[in-house]
Amino acid sequence: MSGWMQNFHQPKEVRWWIVIVSLCAMVAFAVYFSLVVFSQTSLRLDEAQSLFQTNRDVPGMLHLIAQDVHVPGYHLLLHYWQLLFGNDIFAARMMSLVFFVLLILATFALASYVFNRNVGLFAALLVTLSPFMDWYGSEARMYSMLAFITVIHQLTFMKLYQEGRTVHWVWFTLTAIVGMYTHYFFAFVILTEVIFFLFTRKKFASPKSLLKFSIAGAIVFAALLPWLWYVLQLGSASNTQPSLTEPSSIDLFNTYAQFIFGFQIDALNTILVSLWPIVVLLAFFALQKNRKTSNEAIFFVLAAIVPVIGAFIISVTVRPFFQSRYLIVALPALMIFLAWILSIYTRRVRITLQIGLVTVILGLFVVQAVNPNTPVKEDYREAVGYLSQEATSQDVIILSAPFTIYPTEYYYQGDAKVTTQPIWNRFSQGSVPAFDEQKLETEAKQNTQSYQKAWLMLSYDQGYNDDIKNYFDNHFERLAGREFSKGLWVYSYKVRYDPGVKITP
Amino acid sequence: MEFLKTTRASRLLLLINLTLSVVYFVYVALFSPPGNTILFGLLVAAGAYHLWQVLSYIHSVWPRQRRRVFASRFTPPVAIFITVCGEPSDIVEETIVAAKAINYPNFSVYILNDGYVAKRDNWHEAESLAKKHGIICITRRTPGGAKAGNINHALAKTTQPFIVIFDADHIPKPHFLSAMMGYFGDDQVAFVQSPQYYKNNDENMVTGGAWEQQALFFGAIMKGKDTSGAAFMCGTNMILRRSALDEVGGMCETSIAEDFLTSLLIHEKQWTSVYVDEVLAEGLAPEDFLSYYKQQFRWARGSLEVIFKYNPLFRRGLTMSQRLQYLSSAGFYLSGLVVLLNAALPLIYFFAGLEPLAIGTMNLALVFLPYMFVVLYTIQQTSNFSYTFRALSFSLSSFPIHCKAVWQILTRQKSGFVVTSKRKVSGNFGYLVTPHLAYIGLAVFGVIVGLLREGVSSAMVANIAWAVIYIAIFLPFINAALEKTPPSEEAKDEIALQTSSEELRG
Repeated sequence: MSGWMQNFHQPKEVRWWIVIVSLCAMVAFAVYFSLVVFSQTSLRLDEAQSLFQTNRDVPGMLHLIAQDVHVPGYHLLLHYWQLLFGNDIFAARMMSLVFFVLLILATFALASYVFNRNVGLFAALLVTLSPFMDWYGSEARMYSMLAFITVIHQLTFMKLYQEGRTVHWVWFTLTAIVGMYTHYFFAFVILTEVIFFLFTRKKFASPKSLLKFSIAGAIVFAALLPWLWYVLQLGSASNTQPSLTEPSSIDLFNTYAQFIFGFQIDALNTILVSLWPIVVLLAFFALQKNRKTSNEAIFFVLAAIVPVIGAFIISVTVRPFFQSRYLIVALPALMIFLAWILSIYTRRVRITLQIGLVTVILGLFVVQAVNPNTPVKEDYREAVGYLSQEATSQDVIILSAPFTIYPTEYYYQGDAKVTTQPIWNRFSQGSVPAFDEQKLETEAKQNTQSYQKAWLMLSYDQGYNDDIKNYFDNHFERLAGREFSKGLWVYSYKVRYDPGVKITP
Repeated sequence: MEFLKTTRASRLLLLINLTLSVVYFVYVALFSPPGNTILFGLLVAAGAYHLWQVLSYIHSVWPRQRRRVFASRFTPPVAIFITVCGEPSDIVEETIVAAKAINYPNFSVYILNDGYVAKRDNWHEAESLAKKHGIICITRRTPGGAKAGNINHALAKTTQPFIVIFDADHIPKPHFLSAMMGYFGDDQVAFVQSPQYYKNNDENMVTGGAWEQQALFFGAIMKGKDTSGAAFMCGTNMILRRSALDEVGGMCETSIAEDFLTSLLIHEKQWTSVYVDEVLAEGLAPEDFLSYYKQQFRWARGSLEVIFKYNPLFRRGLTMSQRLQYLSSAGFYLSGLVVLLNAALPLIYFFAGLEPLAIGTMNLALVFLPYMFVVLYTIQQTSNFSYTFRALSFSLSSFPIHCKAVWQILTRQKSGFVVTSKRKVSGNFGYLVTPHLAYIGLAVFGVIVGLLREGVSSAMVANIAWAVIYIAIFLPFINAALEKTPPSEEAKDEIALQTSSEELRG
């Protein structure tokens, strides 16, 4: 039947000088918006934890991280980065920006290696414009590093598939080790490769690839073993991690919507996610004569789906840990797949959809950047600045959830005592104590006794912020309340009615 | 037949497809709270039909082996019938020349001239051509049975044990017979069919769309039917064993899908059939929208008649595979009703706020999207990447044709065999896509009504998206209908004749 078909003519690949200019423009875009917009935002809880954990010696840092839910690769790197460039949040964010820039270039390298330069450029453009990626490209966390390592690792995997040289095996193993030490969710990247390998084993260029993959896997596991042993020695991960709810189908689609369109307010997000049937139309457009779906394209489909579906299934069946930022490993593959599938459409449809997609993403990029109600914005800077100004040495500041003490400490410059509820001593207790309703009154009294006013800052609700607020509402006179960003509230309460004692020297 | 590298991989894909299809249907039918009861019932019925289509398609393409006998030295006498009914003589002549050039030791070429009974002015041209090329022209003087009647008439006047049928515009290749006759070395083989290839497939949107639809049928589907023992005749480019045909009383004259029904009757008598997956003759696709429309209607009407009058489920002598395959082919044309329903759902929501399901749209997406993607991927794999968006558009957009065919059968209206024009017919065929244009208008108006009623709700957005999908699907079909193509001179005469005696009734 092959004789029946017409040959599909590939569009001409863009010239190298256009590639270089375009990549430079993308990098400039990413750097500019990082410096001007995203790096100027308030320190966020996770970032505060990064700074807190890395601002100590290596053994102390490892001890803290082992009690957290992460692996230490990023923190080690950030620790030495801070030694070189300073330990403020701006310097820490710059390290993420470096990885974001490298990610843009790596995405081009991967997509152009597997498909062609046109696909590579458009994939890199989508990564550059992704409001989600821009957000984490300027956050002092491991996510841009994770995305970069994922792409580099996938590049070596594709090289193994197509060429299978020894150097690729070495790089494949090394990047897998670095990936596993960057985030536990890198395991989903490896899972994707295992699934792909099972279906395409005979097409791998390298002979005895099963044996070689087994050896590589054993090396990666052996490299990770010391860390796992260390974590287990400390009693596994503590309860410092946020309590997460079981994800729904909405969260699943929100993840992809966030990857492409960024973090938007609920009303806008609902519209975006409800447009899902359009995806069916895009699939219909992909029905093109003689356009075979190559195994490489299937790989990117898997790489975009397996981590998200895998995390979703485990979160529903075992334990909730579904967070879109953890799933950033799927983002570059999604963008590469999108760039590829658009490239197979007829010219008119392709150009229309490319322009349309870029326009929509750019528009939502702006909305995410300027909208104060963007869900992920945590304005601790403003809230703590308010506390610094308003709370006096006769007042107490009570934080819940307790781990929000990290960003608070970073910004707080006042004289009031800062405590948490549940009461948490990070240095002696280790992990955050679980909320106990029986202790609420005792701890509230303990926190407020001998102070004139209590300033209650509630954010990152772990399921008990309402209980705490209700207690304070019912036992003290509320003087004020103000929301600084979504879910970040500061309330003030009058706790004593006798005048404060002034001691004059 | 296997479409992936290994049989195991092919079967795995089909099993995934099957699982996702069942999950989707079960979720919608059993685990989704109904919205409007009537719409819910219709949606479940449509879902059941989709599931049936997927199952029968999977059955068609399921990798299985079929042993065939091919006796390369089997060269009995063959009669080549070229059916003619007023087609332009240059087209017929090209076919005659090619037929005569077939590389085979023992055959005769006949023109089966139906131009006289069809009251075509040029009916005598066939006789002149026969004289010119030294072949026999069998001109029928007594009407009846349309193309089947023409063939049966010629069967009575010839004696060869094997008959080749070519439409007037299908030009055989020299190795046509040597590539196919060997299968008759198996005494049980009643007929051998080869693909209908449209050599004019890149001429315009109509020929392109028509061919891309055919490519799936003559690719994955017919190959699958072959391995299921249910390959049926497709009217041209086929060889028949006379004794098998005699056993069922010749070509069936009571249906306008005479080839389809005769195949069924032959299979009932335990004969077998073979499909040869090689282009051995090249023909012409309908070159204008009106001809395409009529061809599709004839196929739909003829196939649906089989369901209502000769339902394969209740016929004796067929294997289960054959019952399934015949039913699935004939039932394909019921899809028009399902498309009509699915396309209407967004409009119903816009104007009445009614929905078939009272579930979150994201839950539906969770089961629908994997199902749809895997179905599309399976079609691409099994069709060797020959299926296109335009083919999909033409199939789905033909829903008014299919609905009309269903309506005519239910109301017992008669319909005749209309020969597909071999020349481009010019004209304004916009009226043939009135339902599609009306749909666009209603959708635009409906969106306004819906937005005024409830603003930008998630249900409104999702329904707008569905309406956009259907509009996008209809657009290539509408474009094809509105495409301006100059008519050939011969076509002007032909269409004039055709309108005066359009139907040849038995």
